[in-house]
Order: sequence, then structure tokens, then C-alpha cells
Amino acid sequence: MKALAVLVAALSLPAAEFRLAKPGYEYRFPQDHFAHPEFQTEWWYFTGNLSAASGRRFGFELTFFRHAVAPEAASASPWSVRDLWMAHAALSDIEKGRFLWRERINRTGPGLAGADAATGCVWNGNWQVCWRGERMQLEAVTEEFMLRLEVVPQKPPVIHGRDGTSRKGAGEGRASHYISFTRLSATGTLSYAGERFALAGTAWMDHEFFTNQLSDEQLGWDWFSIQLDNDTELMLVQIRRAGGAVDPFSHGTLVEVSGRSRHLEAGDFRLEPLTRWKSPATGALYPIRWRIQVPALELELEAATPLASQELAGSKVLLPSYWEGAMDYRGRLRGGPVTGRGYLEMTGYDRPVRLSPPPPAPGGRAASATPPD
Amino acid sequence: MKARALLFYRLLVRPMLAEPLRTALTLLAVALGVGVVVAIESAGRAAAGSFRSSLETVAGEADYEITAAGGLPEELLAKLARLPVPISLAPRVEGSGRLAATGTPVRLVGMDLIAEGGRAPVRGQELFEALREPHSIWCGRAVATQPGQTIRLVIHDVAREYTVRGLIEGAGLDSTLILDIGAAQEALRKPGRLDRIEVRLPESASPKVEARLREALPEGVLLRPAGARTEENRKMLAAFRWNLRVLSYIALIVGAFLIYNTIAISVLRRRAEIGLLRALGATRGQVGAAFLAESALFGALGAALGLLAGRLMAEGALRLMASTVDTLYATSSPAPLSFDAAIIGLAFAVGLLVAVASALAPAIEAARVAPVEALARGRYHWERRLAVRRNLVGTLALASAAGLASLGPPLGGKPVLGYLAAVLLIAAMALAMPALIDAVARLNLARLAGVETLIALRGLRASLGRSAVLAGALATAAAMVIAVGILIGSFRETVSLWLEQQLAADFYLQPEAATGAERDATLDPALAAELARLDEIAEVERFRAYDISFNGLPAYLAAVETDLARRWGKLRFLGGQDREAILERLGTGNYAIASEPFASKHGLRPGDILRLPLAGRAAEFELLGIYTDYSNERGYIVVDRDVLLGYLPDPAPTSLALYLQAGADRTSARAAIERACAGREVRLISNAELREEALRIFDRTFAITWALEAIALSVAVIGMAGALLALVIDRRRELALLRFLGAAGTQIRRLLVGEAAALGLLALVAGSALGLLLALILIFVINKQSFGWTIQLHWPAGLLAAALGLVYLATLLAALYPARLAQRLNPIEVIHEE
Amino acid sequence: MALLELEEVSKSYRTDGVTVEALRGVSLEVDAGEFVALVGRSGCGKTTLLNLAGAMDQPTAGEVRIAGVSTRRLNDAALARLRRTSVGFVFQSFQLLGTLTAVENVELPLLVAGQAGARRAALERLDWVGLADLANRYPHQLSGGQMQRVAIARALAASPRLILADEPTGNLDSATAESIVGLLGRIASEQGAAVLMATHSQEAAAACHRLIRLRDGRIEAIEETGRR
Repeated sequence: MKALAVLVAALSLPAAEFRLAKPGYEYRFPQDHFAHPEFQTEWWYFTGNLSAASGRRFGFELTFFRHAVAPEAASASPWSVRDLWMAHAALSDIEKGRFLWRERINRTGPGLAGADAATGCVWNGNWQVCWRGERMQLEAVTEEFMLRLEVVPQKPPVIHGRDGTSRKGAGEGRASHYISFTRLSATGTLSYAGERFALAGTAWMDHEFFTNQLSDEQLGWDWFSIQLDNDTELMLVQIRRAGGAVDPFSHGTLVEVSGRSRHLEAGDFRLEPLTRWKSPATGALYPIRWRIQVPALELELEAATPLASQELAGSKVLLPSYWEGAMDYRGRLRGGPVTGRGYLEMTGYDRPVRLSPPPPAPGGRAASATPPD
Repeated sequence: MKARALLFYRLLVRPMLAEPLRTALTLLAVALGVGVVVAIESAGRAAAGSFRSSLETVAGEADYEITAAGGLPEELLAKLARLPVPISLAPRVEGSGRLAATGTPVRLVGMDLIAEGGRAPVRGQELFEALREPHSIWCGRAVATQPGQTIRLVIHDVAREYTVRGLIEGAGLDSTLILDIGAAQEALRKPGRLDRIEVRLPESASPKVEARLREALPEGVLLRPAGARTEENRKMLAAFRWNLRVLSYIALIVGAFLIYNTIAISVLRRRAEIGLLRALGATRGQVGAAFLAESALFGALGAALGLLAGRLMAEGALRLMASTVDTLYATSSPAPLSFDAAIIGLAFAVGLLVAVASALAPAIEAARVAPVEALARGRYHWERRLAVRRNLVGTLALASAAGLASLGPPLGGKPVLGYLAAVLLIAAMALAMPALIDAVARLNLARLAGVETLIALRGLRASLGRSAVLAGALATAAAMVIAVGILIGSFRETVSLWLEQQLAADFYLQPEAATGAERDATLDPALAAELARLDEIAEVERFRAYDISFNGLPAYLAAVETDLARRWGKLRFLGGQDREAILERLGTGNYAIASEPFASKHGLRPGDILRLPLAGRAAEFELLGIYTDYSNERGYIVVDRDVLLGYLPDPAPTSLALYLQAGADRTSARAAIERACAGREVRLISNAELREEALRIFDRTFAITWALEAIALSVAVIGMAGALLALVIDRRRELALLRFLGAAGTQIRRLLVGEAAALGLLALVAGSALGLLLALILIFVINKQSFGWTIQLHWPAGLLAAALGLVYLATLLAALYPARLAQRLNPIEVIHEE
Repeated sequence: MALLELEEVSKSYRTDGVTVEALRGVSLEVDAGEFVALVGRSGCGKTTLLNLAGAMDQPTAGEVRIAGVSTRRLNDAALARLRRTSVGFVFQSFQLLGTLTAVENVELPLLVAGQAGARRAALERLDWVGLADLANRYPHQLSGGQMQRVAIARALAASPRLILADEPTGNLDSATAESIVGLLGRIASEQGAAVLMATHSQEAAAACHRLIRLRDGRIEAIEETGRR
């Protein structure tokens, strides 16, 4: 459920020519960590909570996004656009209350961006993640900060949904293949504001590929990653429908200490917004405090963010804004206290997220994205 | 203050107004002089301003750019993009083309419209959709007026339809077309290559960032400050502009003679008045300052008028300059002419400076007038005692100094000493002028030329100071006309001979998109082979040239088919080098020959090693020889075709030279070639046409020079008219006396015209001598140091005779009105007046 | 005290390598209110004497004092200032500027001295010489006598205490000449200025208080006319 999808969703071609996510997909690693060009859309998503030795806390987000505009390139030129690659890098400086983020967009070109099993890298310019065996090396260079992390999976990859397919809506193919590393131990360095920090913490990685996902009535979503201190993790996503109803295809996954995962249906959990924060940039009201209830697990959590201002405010007409930030969780599990950390993503609060192209406007042109600055 | 202003008005302005015609003529002379300077300066700035890369205005200023001769492999961009340093990179593919409909040259720029979407002028909703169409363009207003239009573009030798997706706005972008980078590579035949990568650093970037970037670059790739190309073009243009600028000051120098003359006459006439003022208690300083102020008033008014005149002339000057810049330097679209504070300041600075400097001597003279002269009875006729002999010594000294200066090296790349020599020669002539007039006036020509001439000559001699200045002004103008005439005539003859000798092929073939100075348009590589199969054709020679940068100056890197050049070509090497031996070696490896302007600009000699960053590799070539070439001022480095293909594997030729079979019919050959080229946008030019075209370009290049000469000459003639007018007014009494003595009105007129004729003749003789010397300096010092051409001295006799005849005629014409005025003087009134 | 004092004044010129002794040891004094004539043949040194007396030139030897100020140590600018304040000149050929009106000509010395309110003073002087109604005429619209009156008004403009006149009647008919000499006499008597006039005219000389005869650069005789 990643917001970058919206960037180019509007220029999606008829999906018929791409492969649909269907049950029975056979996962093979490490190949499945890299590109799946036969699917139209694909993303790699890293988030995490990190601390310096001094205890100073940071959150980070590094995402790579691929979207095919055509099944085949128009010509042999590497500049001919088949895939667009977008990326976001964000840093949450919890202590100073600062949130920094950058975006970029590239085509594959002569190697400007890509996901290449041969070199083990997914990259967009000098933002990259490279697999070195089990480990992944993350690097993001921006004008304001430079982040270098090594993340090591503490559990095997989790495949969400049922039969290798995570359903998002009614109808064939309204689904994705969705892989996560729910607990990554992260160490690395951050150069930022003239200082250099040695960081350690826990990260989360999502990798999802699909063609044609949500339907028109689905306005936006709230996605939680929760890493509890009892060494279990929870992913919950609630899809909001027009009129305020919760979409029946909302779902979640519980990952046990052993690494075994358990699929959760919409009815298995309840998400209740408590406090809202008004974005000065977009005016959107984001719930930044939530009550989370998973009766089947006897789990009740309160989710709160240590930094309200973690909105990636799209500056362009068609670029949607979304909130993606570090979270703290506190509550009770089977009667005992439990805490955790994780990330929350909220979309569709400034205006509905449109995932499929609106009908052509008079003048014969469909809405399309404006590239980022 | 008020008293001083009142004095200034009464004593100096009023007399000026009392002689409106003479005052107007002096003002006109100054205005023309200042106007030319202003016009050339502002036109030069506009012409140079046009080099500003249009993308600088589109995408903002970059900090650095990465380039290499022949372009960069695009993989370099991918490699640099992944460097872990916070830089942003923007690839550029550039070239030129023409609008098929009008032939207007346009600039093509390929940029990564996706990555640069936010910065580029091209943005908005249609971008992605448009990118799916291969022939989408975004363009300036001179190309299309609304999106959706279809335009036909000729790029290289191909014409094709493009769809306008949007308009771009911005200064200098009117003739710019933007394509997505892949489309640009395809259209410009540069697959896999980038011309430049622009680099932006964050403001906070440490020097380490640049160092990391530099480290990552392969050898043979240049990292230089952004806008270096613009800077290079400007630098290349600098010599051209500098020389034009100097030429533009000739009119002002001539004007200076005339201001000097005007003020000197003013001082002369008012000697008694000055004496009176001194008797009334005016100090020397006051008197001197008054005359300087009078001159400054001329300077200021002249400058104001000159600004207007300059504005008018600048349009024409810019047109002439722009066409020269296009043909000889780089395609440009001139920036708009601007008359800002700097130009206005320049006008007043040169106007006042020239005025005050030329009035200095007469003002000092005025300050020296003793108060006792007021008491001298009657009209005090004063004539400066000209130390003729001492002046001749001065002449010799100045001339020797000029000789020494002409031997000096260029300073800062500019022939400063050459121009100094020219100025010294002019000064020497000016000093010699009184002696010359004196000598001629002493000749007893009465029997030969009649009594009027005798009186006329004696009149000149009697007012030696004044007539010498006049003759000096005219001689200077005439000398410049002669010098420039000889220079241009010699140059043209040299070029013409060179063309005759050099252009060996029967036909030449160029892509239609080729524009004046750029060499980026090429022909379909298959065409050469197709043409070679024609029965009429004996040989097809492929020539390829690249625009490169060498030691901070633009140049061409060219490839020739060495064996064909040996067989057919007629290259001539400097210093009597053996052509055969050089060409034999050229084809065998990393050797090069260079054209003369290139070698002299960079101070290269045979045996030197040329280091070139070629397509991301460092290449070295040994310079074998330097050949004469007048085709381009940038200059050529020429290497063997196969050798260059090893570095830059683009087989497309820039032009083809076609040699016909012996005895082949030209007309049918032409038809056959045209058939073979059908469907391709090419220009087929015969040997004769090319030669004609070259000379036409040559003449156009020097049109502005002639214009400057003409204006300088006009200033001299105007000055002549004004001075003769003053002469008539001052000599009214004498002329009236002649009438009393029985002279007829027509005789008086003849007397005046005779004086002008004598003065004109003297000036022309002196001017011719001076002009010849100046021509030598122009050809062998100034031209050689500025442009590096070797020019054979030729005498454009007809041209010079015509020019001198014209000058003479103009001088006589200038005398007509004053002469009529003299004829009409009523002797009775004049005598009574006194 | 004498307004003008010449003490053993000599002046020699060098022209074309020949030294001409224009004045040889001339001593004389002219008092305020005194009208003195300087007579002698052409070339006897009259004009030279006037030039020295008017601070227009420096003597080769001896000393000239104007209103007690010696010209000896004065530089050119100081001499000019001295002329401005203390000396008025009247010339034979009037030396009016043709491009200026009568009153403008009279204003000239005041303007040169940088004085404001020149117009009023100039009109007063013109009135004094009897030409108030011709103030705006140009010189060529005036008769010779009128021109010389304008010139006298100009000499008086800055209220100098010494008036020097060089053949002021030389270009005038006898009747006009008489009135001009009368005018000069009135300057001495009414304004208390010292007036020194070089003249060839017996009549003019006779109208003066004192008569100094020059010959070959020397004072030949000083005669009292008895007309005080």
C-alpha cells in the first residue's frame, strides 16, 4: 500500500498487457527480491527506527518504486521509456522535531535507475539498496543528509495474504505479491547537519509487485507496521471507502517469534483514530494517535507518533500528499504490558487517492502526473 | 557660481549660437564619432550576448559541465549518477537544424525531460503522454505559435514532421527546440552519446564534492565551470570585437582633430577678447577652464546626439556583425540591443574625454594670452610660430617609435602595440603637416595655376596652424580608408587565390541543416558509397569535422581521407614544408596537421604534441605541419579519417567533395548526383558556386569595416566644411579687400575652392603615404596577431583610386557652400563693420 | 599717500634677439582724485607704462605699487585679482564684446570677479555716464562716443581706485573726444579715483591736472596745468 503508486497511477495503460497477481505464485529468492517487469508496478520500501549512541532518535524511509508505462519500450534506445523509477528518502529527526525528505524520478536510461539481480542492487541514482548475501546495504545521499545502513534480516521473508497473494479488492488480479522483512537489525552512519552519527535500530522492508490493484471507491488507506518488544510483528492495513466505511479487503499479518506468519482478515482488527494533526502545508487532518484492537490476539495498543510533522507534502497539482512516520506503540497483550515501534502511512487525507485513470477530459487527455522537482 | 554660468553663457555659448551652421557641423562630427563607438559597442555586446547558452535561461545555471570532444558515452552519466555525492546531473544533447519552410536555423537541445521535469520549461500534464510519441518537441515562439502545430524540421540531411507539444518562454529561446534526450540522440544521429552533462552542486557542498567528482571522471573528459562554452565563444569573438572597437574610434579620432580645430579657431579669434578679460582681472585658470568648458559642452552635446545616432546605427551594425558571427564564429541569435547606463556612460566618457583632450592645447594657449594683448591697437593678428624644424624632428621620433612598436609582440593576445604604432604614425603625420604645407605653399605656382591658387596657397600658409590641423584630419581619414582598403583588397585577393588553388573538387555536398559556423550537421554515411557508384564520378572524398574546445578556445577537429587528400588535394604548408612527406605520415597514426589561424592562436609549431580529450579518452597527436587556410578563424586540427574513427566511431561525413571523371559533363553529372540524393535534404554546390559564396561571405564580413571607414570620412568632410566656413568668416576683411582691388565674385569663390582643393590634395598625398604604412601594420602586425592570417600584399588600385577620388570630391563639395558665402560677401558692409 | 607709485621702473623686451628698452628708470606718483595725462610720441613707452601701472605686466626692474600694494611679489593670479579690484581700463578701440549688450559689457568685470547683483551696479554706472536708456543696445548699434562711454562705465564697474586710459579719444571726433575727457575728469573729481590717461591729443592733455612727458622710455618733464 504505498503512496508513490499514486504518482503515476493516472497514466496507467490498460493493464491487460501486464501479468496479474494471482494465487499460486511461486516465490524464489533471491531472484524475487529484484525486478518483475512483467508486472506493471513494483516497490521496495524500507522504514525504521534508529538511535545514536547518545540515545538521539531518528526515523528513516527509503523507497524505490517502478511503474511500467508500456509493456515494451518504443525503441531500442535506452532512453525510450518503459519503466519510470521514483524514489523517496526521508529522515525524521525526532529530537529536533525536523522532518526532511527528497524525491526523484528517472527512467531506466543507460542505468540511471533499476533493480538488477546480477549486481544485487535496486537503485535510483545514488540512492540504492544492494544485497550482499542476506544483508542489505542502504545508501541515500541528499543535499541535507547522507544515510548509510546495513540491515540484517532477523526472520525469513514473510509472504502476505493467502496462497502467495495479497488481495486488495474484488475481482481478478486486484491483488499483489507482497513480501516483507518484518524485523531487520540496522546499523550504520548518518551524516547530517554537520554531524556524523553511528546509528543502530530496527527496520522493516516491504517489496510488492502487481498490476491493477485498488478500485474506484477506495479513497485511501492507513498502513501500520508494528514491531513489538516480544519479538513479534504485526502489519495492518485499513482501506477506507467513500462514505467512511472500512473496506472489507482491509487485512493484516501477524509474524510470530518463530517467523511463522498468520493472515488477518478485516474483521480480525479494529483501528480507531484518536487525535488528529492538521498539516499546515495541505490542510489535511491526519490521525496521529490511534487505538488498535486485535481481539483474536488479545492485543490492544495505543499508537502515537513522537513527531507530528512527517507529511510528505506533494507540491504539484497532481502529486498527492501522504503522511509516513515513525510510531510508538504501548498497550496490553494477553493481559501483560507490551510496547513496540514501527511506522504508519496514511494516504487520501488531503483528497481522495485515485488509483485508476479518470475518464478522459474533454480535449481527449487523461490526467497525468507532474514529475517532482 | 551664477556669475560663472552667466559668463560662460555670454562669452562662449552665445558665439556658438551666432554661428549655428558651424556649431552644428562640429556637433555633428562629434555625434557621429561618439555614435559609431556607441553603435559598435552595443552591437558587439548584443552579438556576444547571443552566445549565452539558451539552456542557461531554461534550466537555471549549472555549476560545472562535463564534456569531451566528440561527446561523452551516456554510460558515464549512469556511472556518475551513482556517485555517493550530493550533486545533480543534467545530460544535454545539442545540435542545430533548420525549419524546412523558411530555412531559419534553429537550435536543438535534448534534455532528460523526466528527471528534469521540475526544472525544465517543459512540464505539465502532457509530458508523459507526449514522450510516448517520438517526434514531440517543445519550442520557442519563433518556431511555432501554439501547441498542436506540426512543423517540418531539417536535421542533418533529413526532413521530418514534429509535433509541437508546448511553447517555451524566455530570453533567447525563440529559436530553440527542446526534445527529450532519446529523441534528440536519434534526430541528431548521436546514439549513445551526450554532448554535455551539467552539474549542480548544493550550496553547502564542500570542495571535497568537486574533488570526488573529478576523481570519478575518466581521463579525456573535461570538468569545467558551466558556461565555459559561452565564455570560449566570447573569447573567440573578443579579437573581432576588439578590432571593430578600435576601428570605431577612428571616427572619433578624426572628430578630435576637428574639435581641436574648432577650439583653436575660437581661441585664435578671441585673442583680443581674452586679453581684455585678463585685463579685467580674469586669471589664466579661468580663461583656460572656459575654453575647456566650451569643448566639454561640444563633447556633452555631441555625446547626447551621438547616443541617438548610435542607437540608429547599432541596428545596422548588429545586423552586419551578427551575420559575420554566424558565418565565422558560432550560430547565434543576437541578444536585444540595450542602451543601459554603461553605454550612456561610455558615450559621455568618450565624448567628454575626446573633447577635453583635444581642447587641452588650445585652452593652454588661451590661458597664456597676456593681458597686454588687449591694449594692442587694432586687430591683433596672431599666428602660432610653428617650429617647423623642431616638428620634423618630432615626426622622425614618433615614426621611429611607431617602427619599434610595430615589431612588438601582442599584449594579452591583442595587437596593442600594433595599434600604438598606428596612432604614433598618425601623430607623426600630424606633426609633419605644417612643414608640408609650408613647403608646398612656398612653390611659385602662380604661372602654373593662376593667381587665385597662389593667394589660396599663401592663405593656407598664413594660417598654417589651422590648415595643418584640417589637413591632418582629412589625411587621417584618407589614410585609414587607404589602409583598410589595402588590407581588405589584399585579403580578398589572397583568399580568392587560395580558393582557386584549394577547391579542387568539382562539386561539394552538404547537409541542408548545415549552418555557418557549426559543424554538427552530417550526411547519411551511406550516401558517399551510393555516389561513388555513379559513372560520372571518379572519387568521393569524405570530410568530417567536430566542434571542439582546445585550450579554452573553440576549434574544429576534422578528419580527412589522407590518401585522397594526397591524390586530389592541394594543401600548402607554411615554411616550405614538404606536402608529400607530411601527408604520407598523416595517415599512419596519431598525427595531425593544423590550419594557420589555429597554430598561431595557440602558438604551435610542427613537432608539438596536441592533447585532446576525445570521447572520454585522452588522445595525443603529433603536429606534422601547418597549412594555409582562410576558411575559418577558429582553425582546424586535421587528422586521418580512420584514426579518428578509432576514437569517434561515427562514420557520417560533414561534407563530401565529389571529383568527376575526366571528360564528364557537368550538367548531366549534376543531374545524376541530384537523382542519387533524392529524398535527402542536401545542398549540392559546384566549385564555382562555392568560390562565389565564399567571396560573398568575405565581402559581407567586411561590410561593417567599410561602413566605419565611410563614417570616419564623413566626419572629416564635415569638419572640412566647418573649418572652411570659419575661414571665410575670419577672412571676410581680406576677401572684401580683394574685391576692392578688383577681384570678381567668381574669383573669390575659386579662391576658396582652390584652398580646399590644395588642402585636400595635400591631405590625400600625406594620407596615401600614411595609409600605406598603416596598411602594412594592419596586415603584418594587427591582423597577424589578432587573427593569424597570412595575407599577401596586393594593390586594389581601382578601389583606392575610386576611394581617393570620392574623398577629393567630397572635400571640394564641402568647400562649395563656404565659397558661395564668400562670393556673396558685400565688401562695403564688411569694411564698414570693422 | 599716492595711489599709484612707480619707483625706478624699467622694462625691456626681447624680440627676434634684439633687446628693446621700453622704460628706463621711471619714477612717478599719482594721487587719488588726480587726473594725469601721459604724452609723448608713439613708441616712447606710454603703453608699457600703462601696462605696468595696471598690473598687467611686471617691470624688469624697479617697483610698482597700486594702492600701497607692490606688484613685485605677486604671481599671475594675484595680479589678476589686483586688477579686478583696483584697476579700471579704457582702450582706444573700446574693446567692447560685440556679442554682448552695453549693460552686459559693463557687467563683465563684476562677473569675472564672481560678484552677484552685477546688473544693478552696471546700470548705475551706465546711468552715471549718461547711457541708461541705451543699456540693451549692442555695440554695433552705438556711436563711437557712446561705445567709449560704455567702456568707461565698464572700467568703473568694480569701483576701482585707479583708472588707466590708453588713447581713449584716438578713434573719436573732437567734440565727442572732449566729452569723453570730461567724463574721465569727473571720475577723478567726483569719484576720487586716480586717472592716468595716455594721449596724443593736446586738447585732452590740457584738460588734466598734470602732464607727464615721456621720451625714449624716460620721463622728460612733468608739467602742472594748473587745472585742479
